Amino acid sequence: MVKVRIAAPAAFALVLLAAGAASTTAPAAEEAAAGNAYGADWASWRADTSVSDRQSLQRGARDFLSYCAGCHSLKYMRYSRMGDDLDIAPDLMQQYLVPKGRKPTDYIVAPLPPADGTTWFGKAPPDLSLIARARGTDYLYQFLMTFYADPSRATGVNNLAKDAVAMPHVLSTLEGEKRAVFKNVQTRAADGKEITSKAFDHFEQLSAGQLSREQYAAFVRDVVNFLDYTGEPAQAHRRALGVWVVLFLLVFSWLAWLLKTEYWKDVH
Amino acid sequence: MVDNGVIADDGVDDSRRKFLLAATVATGSVGAVFTAVPFISSWTISERDRALGAPTEFDLSKLEPGQMALAKWRKQPIYVVRRTPEMLKLLADHDSQLKDPKSEDSDQPDYADNAMRSRNAEYLVLVAVCTHLGCLPKARFEPADPGLGTDWPGGFACPCHGSRFDLAGRVFEGSPASKNLRVPPYAFADTHKLVIGLDDAKGAA
Amino acid sequence: MATVAKPSGSEPAAKAGGLKAWFYKRLPIEDFIRSQLTGYYAPKNFNVWYFFGFIALTVLAMQLLTGIFLTMFYKPGEATAFDSVEYIMREVNSGWLIRYLHSTGASAFFLVVYLHMFRALLYGSYKAPRELLWVIGMFVYLALMAEAFFGYVLPYGNMSYWAAQVITNIFSTIPGIGPGLTEWIRGDYAISDATLNRFFSLHVAAVPLALILLVVLHLVALRQTGSSNPDGIEIKEKVGADGKPLDGIPFHPYYTVKDTFGISVFLVLFAIVVFFVPTLGGLFLEHANFEPADPLSTPDPIAPSWYFTPYYAILRAVPNQRIGALLMLISVMAYLFLPWLDRSPVKSMRYRGPLSRAFLAIFVVSFLGLMYLGMRPPEGIYVLLARIFSVGYFAYFGLMYWYTKWDRVKPVPERVRFDSHG
Repeated sequence: MVKVRIAAPAAFALVLLAAGAASTTAPAAEEAAAGNAYGADWASWRADTSVSDRQSLQRGARDFLSYCAGCHSLKYMRYSRMGDDLDIAPDLMQQYLVPKGRKPTDYIVAPLPPADGTTWFGKAPPDLSLIARARGTDYLYQFLMTFYADPSRATGVNNLAKDAVAMPHVLSTLEGEKRAVFKNVQTRAADGKEITSKAFDHFEQLSAGQLSREQYAAFVRDVVNFLDYTGEPAQAHRRALGVWVVLFLLVFSWLAWLLKTEYWKDVH
Repeated sequence: MVDNGVIADDGVDDSRRKFLLAATVATGSVGAVFTAVPFISSWTISERDRALGAPTEFDLSKLEPGQMALAKWRKQPIYVVRRTPEMLKLLADHDSQLKDPKSEDSDQPDYADNAMRSRNAEYLVLVAVCTHLGCLPKARFEPADPGLGTDWPGGFACPCHGSRFDLAGRVFEGSPASKNLRVPPYAFADTHKLVIGLDDAKGAA
Repeated sequence: MATVAKPSGSEPAAKAGGLKAWFYKRLPIEDFIRSQLTGYYAPKNFNVWYFFGFIALTVLAMQLLTGIFLTMFYKPGEATAFDSVEYIMREVNSGWLIRYLHSTGASAFFLVVYLHMFRALLYGSYKAPRELLWVIGMFVYLALMAEAFFGYVLPYGNMSYWAAQVITNIFSTIPGIGPGLTEWIRGDYAISDATLNRFFSLHVAAVPLALILLVVLHLVALRQTGSSNPDGIEIKEKVGADGKPLDGIPFHPYYTVKDTFGISVFLVLFAIVVFFVPTLGGLFLEHANFEPADPLSTPDPIAPSWYFTPYYAILRAVPNQRIGALLMLISVMAYLFLPWLDRSPVKSMRYRGPLSRAFLAIFVVSFLGLMYLGMRPPEGIYVLLARIFSVGYFAYFGLMYWYTKWDRVKPVPERVRFDSHG
């Protein structure tokens, strides 16, 4: 069903035309621990996204299609479905989001041939339709937030959430570059011997990107939120319908209870 | 009534029982109907198939006058005929032999609700599904075709049960079919591009 | 020409009576209603544990309905299965709902069946004359496990693939014929299109037919002996002047009405899961299964669905592959022998002594413990715990022959304990 609201196209147009991603969420929790220990608690960073935040999804859709869809397909998503669910007017879809020569009903397919992906990166960039269901939004958030410079690697970067990652830091223009500072720690190996190993301590910014730390975190949140949506486009509808179904069943249960107690008065 | 020391159903409020039973059955029935809805709706055309049923394009530049081409729309065959002035003349004077010469009972968009059954006289677009039982009618454009009679003005003849249609897709008397051949929605994106499935092709890429 | 008795009354009533009578003459409907519903007497003291049989039947019906509809859109085949499931989730109208009903229904089925089986352990429902009822029920359970296993492979996600790989590998432990048997089951050198297609046929056609047949037999066996009850006494032994059990009540309307309530409560909980937490954090729909099957990458961690994990934990607890498989098989089959292992003179745990109660408690703790451990990686303290719980699990069955005989018993009442609600 095509839902075209009057306000939405205007709102979406404004969103599209805004330079960069404007943060509408509160400063990221990790900001509080910023300064000299940024990133120390990266493993407990939460995505904190909500698929009912439609504006966030719209930004995420725009950002994904700008920065990610060159390599990563969303092969189970149609542009038109995304437009319907996210309240993006068809003409705006056609103008800004649907690539030239494609129809709105087409699936979102990346132009990068998988063979080239394997040649350039060692591994073809995977389809991301279901990545949020497979790995979880927290992991995805951490993944996009913990790239760091590593000159020993071909791509020049590594990632804390996924070691030896094949993906380059595509978003480095936005985040800037940062490096990871490791500290030596004493640990006990499985056989009881004491060994020294390197543990991540904190990040240090090397160069600034177009976005501040806050803005970049918000950007990542929007993209991750969008990927949460693409994992299961029906989820908002599912929850909304569920409220009615459960209420109805509660009413029915109450009636069934009255009926039961009424008849069981007979039984002694 | 039962009273065997276990069940004692005298002193029972029969009307309350009836009411509760009715209320529960009614609510349960409503629930059952609502439960049926998703199953029934799952049979409606899926998003994928609606997308596949999107308008299709057809290139007219290779179509010679007097020729017919086969296009596809919504998984159905579509005839695109480029009619010559001679063919159009033959449309004029056999209204008395037609079941529905003014296409009052037949399916076509507003712009095809005319004697030519098309937007312009030159191109005829028809859904190539016989309105009797669905076979593909054969093109028999030659007038006075020996198999169809000396007064045959040219048109289509269905091989399954013998229905006949003229060069505007209108059904002849004596055919098992009762309606004229359907005209699908279509529009011209430009002089050589036909878009089938749209009423308005302006702005189509 | 047959004569139809004309009852006094209005014409439409006579017509209706005529139609009913026409059917009654040709099918044993009246007999059925009398014998199974209004004339079938069930003990009046059923408690909450007695809901689960009817709920299980309802879940079976729901799985059949949703399964039939899923089969209209699902495409078995290595190249098409995963995509067709996403097609159902995204593009078939209400497809996501039908899918979630089916996936949640599978887990609900096992939860309900485990509670249903536990009732039998609690009240000795498997004891004479209900041994065959219990055995048939065990075969329903086995068929259900097979059905769940085949069904889980169908979406052909990565967990589907590796579950099929691991379970079919178990057969290779059979001495001699093992490897050949495994290849025969798979229909190929490894899990592939051949395996998927035959599992589809088994899941959609063969096992459901077997399940329905077994459930019918189960109900027939139940009606033959009549149901037991929480006090474990036979209500047929005390009949009134009308020949009906003094402690029994007609199934209809009393238990039809009570089961309606039971079903509605179940549906509330079921709907909450379906609409708000269908994956249940990865318990009902595993994360790894949202990635397509990859023969080159085993999910980490790997575990079967929660309803299999107790037995999986037992398999892993044993350091020897063959013995582990054998013990796992025994752990599943052990239930079959309960009617003959249990030598207690009383049925219900209410009248049994401390030994029986202790071992039942050990069994419950072990079963739940093993269920949890089966989901965890086999390292550290988990290994030891799995072994301890395995011992507890087997102790319940293995020592039952003796502790049920030696245990104290309390005197069993003449009539059932019942608190009237009236």
